[in-house]
Amino acid sequence: MPPPLEGIRVVDFGQYLAGPFGPMLLADLGADVVKVEPTRGDGMRGGFIGPFMGCQRGKRDIALDLKHPEGLRVALELVATADIVHHNMTLGTADRLGIGYEGCKAVRPDILYCNTYMYGPVGPLASFGGVDPLAQAAAGLEWEQGPVAEGNPPLWYRYGHGDVAAAIPSVSALLIALYHRNRTGEGQLVWASLLHGAMLYTADSWIAADGTPSPRPTLDREQLGLDALYRLYETQDGWLQLAAVRDDHWPALCRVLHREDLVDDARFATGADRRQHRAELTALLADAFMGDLATNWRRALRSVGVPAEISVDTWDGETVLFDDELVRLGLVARYDHPLLGRVRQFGNLITFSDTPGSQERATPLCGQHTQEILHELGYDAAAIEAFRDDGVVTWPGDDYAFGV
Amino acid sequence: MREDGAVAGPALDGVRILDVSGGLAGPLGVLQLAEHGADVIKIEPPGGSRARHSPGSRVYNRSRRSVTLDLSHADGARLFRELCGTADVVVEAFAPGTMARWGLDDESLREEFPRLVYCAVPAWPSGSRFEGIPGYEALVHARSGQQWETTSFRNGPVFLHNPVASMGAAMLVPIAIMSALVARDRTGRGQRVEVSLLQGVLSLTTQNWNWTDRGQFQLPKTHPPGVHQGSIHECADGEWIHVPASGGTAPSRSVASVLGLEEVSFDQLFAMSPADRDDYVARQREAFKRHECADLVERFRAAGLNAEAIVPPHERFDHPQLRASGSVVEVVDPEVGPTTQIGVTIFLEGTPGEVRGPQPMPGAHTDEVLRSLGHDGAELADLRARGVV
Repeated sequence: MPPPLEGIRVVDFGQYLAGPFGPMLLADLGADVVKVEPTRGDGMRGGFIGPFMGCQRGKRDIALDLKHPEGLRVALELVATADIVHHNMTLGTADRLGIGYEGCKAVRPDILYCNTYMYGPVGPLASFGGVDPLAQAAAGLEWEQGPVAEGNPPLWYRYGHGDVAAAIPSVSALLIALYHRNRTGEGQLVWASLLHGAMLYTADSWIAADGTPSPRPTLDREQLGLDALYRLYETQDGWLQLAAVRDDHWPALCRVLHREDLVDDARFATGADRRQHRAELTALLADAFMGDLATNWRRALRSVGVPAEISVDTWDGETVLFDDELVRLGLVARYDHPLLGRVRQFGNLITFSDTPGSQERATPLCGQHTQEILHELGYDAAAIEAFRDDGVVTWPGDDYAFGV
Repeated sequence: MREDGAVAGPALDGVRILDVSGGLAGPLGVLQLAEHGADVIKIEPPGGSRARHSPGSRVYNRSRRSVTLDLSHADGARLFRELCGTADVVVEAFAPGTMARWGLDDESLREEFPRLVYCAVPAWPSGSRFEGIPGYEALVHARSGQQWETTSFRNGPVFLHNPVASMGAAMLVPIAIMSALVARDRTGRGQRVEVSLLQGVLSLTTQNWNWTDRGQFQLPKTHPPGVHQGSIHECADGEWIHVPASGGTAPSRSVASVLGLEEVSFDQLFAMSPADRDDYVARQREAFKRHECADLVERFRAAGLNAEAIVPPHERFDHPQLRASGSVVEVVDPEVGPTTQIGVTIFLEGTPGEVRGPQPMPGAHTDEVLRSLGHDGAELADLRARGVV
């Protein structure tokens, strides 16, 4: 059966990450996503080949100068054929270009229009653009990962937790709105932001009426765990993640570590005792785990039902992306790119029993589908050439300047 | 407002979701749909879900009703099936095979209720060799390589405080459900959708794991961590500030000028000798230490520059942008009373979402929901006496 969003057309005016990752997920779900790219190229094409590919696969691409009246006209003709418009421009920019919500609604009354922001469209910082670390700072992530409470500096997560928290929820917003449109015929304006999305990560934090914050797990100063029994331990040949969190795990763990004496140690009698004596217990366990290899510990712990895993270094994702089983399960995408050859990235983020999506279409070159899309809009070859001669559109030629 | 002046109902009015999942990813994923109008019924064992001991449960499980039901009991499973007949979606996060043991596997449910969407949120992908590994968050981090991807001040793995595997899954769950509901509009049939915590992790690898025949492209991995970490500074009051080099809005001044330092462009900085550069960076660090954090944030923003105080989570409620968007809400919890929580995080201007009530007490709506299925008081008393509800 066709994928879930078969027949849905998306026009993506975004650049960089926090916008375009959303439309990429819509493409994974089967939507026809057209990336409308400036003729000088998306700002990420230059030095950020990896992140660019990670946000653009599955799309078709038209390179168009929106500041040219003819370019704007073509863009709005495209919007008139679309269900969804998505971008991450700062507040007011799209309106100035003529592709704001009102402009798009005028040519497509039931359009679903999504803008992702740094901070959202209301409030004193509404017009500010931004980058991932601002969201990580504001949500409490950097403070807790330091951990600052233990005297460390804050630590920024390299994986752009803020970027994805704007992009992925923007897709939720659009699909909720699409479901509503299918019932009422009504389009609407939706938005998400790095700041608001990042709040999901720490949503578990609340404040009581007297101002007391809700209790939270705390990372140790070594950044190795939240508790002596939920922590990374170094072994003779690598690191082991222990998750001996249930009461019945405790005596079993002691036996595997040949420390049966600890079972009856009053300091560690109950879960609360073990948490209270976290530092002492951590030191004892750290010493014990240095007595053998990680694989031996894992085997022994598993045999008595104590959860533990070796902490794997994937060497930049290699062991995951070349894992035959994950490939078979569709969790790895593979496609051919005209400049980069065979590409591997994460694949299906959602597994559908009946209407699977796919990721067979490569990240497009800048303007790769300009002619195809203009042709679909009814322009003939002569008109398309004229657009190019006037600088309204481009497509890749022998002098293609980008690495992706 | 519609043109006729009527206020539009919530977008998911009429969608019923049975949430049998505990933990984080299922309930937080479903929350995003509950607060846009879906009627979510949390199904938990008599006495309440074990996950309720976690403080975050008060947030993850709000805006829904609670029915206690022992699914391992034949009568409990029968009542659950009856509820499935009224529902659009079932969400579960059990270890593989659990629902099947109760006779509630997706195939038999979908056979009886062809329009039902069955959303599974396991730790590991179904059908993989990982299936038997227990579903603890940190085990997914360990196995998926995440602990080696966020570089720190030392080499080796780092325990991630942020439960990113569950969080990634929590963000994908509403997409999985809504995609299947949209597909159902076309096909007339539901289906099984799955979001594993491992897929939650993969959603984060977009900027980093991109392998090609021409090489592997990613954001650089360095010790100490790279450019964004370098823009974290300590202030006079011991607080920390993050001042990224880009973003903002048409700045009227530079970071150096706000700090009272001479202007040094990026090009100049990179052209410096290592010793000169170290000297400049040290003077910059000293300059930050001459100002209080809140004062600096104010001054940077007034100049159109981005800056954020690096705060613990409970201080994020003061953020002016969260206040302005109504994202800081009071929720009166039945156990702990008034609380301040983060509200709705995705915004539909035509059909605004809202928090629809606190985490209910376990079973607070058992009678109400079962009566709506036609079960009378005597029957409910009997079920209660036998521990089914």
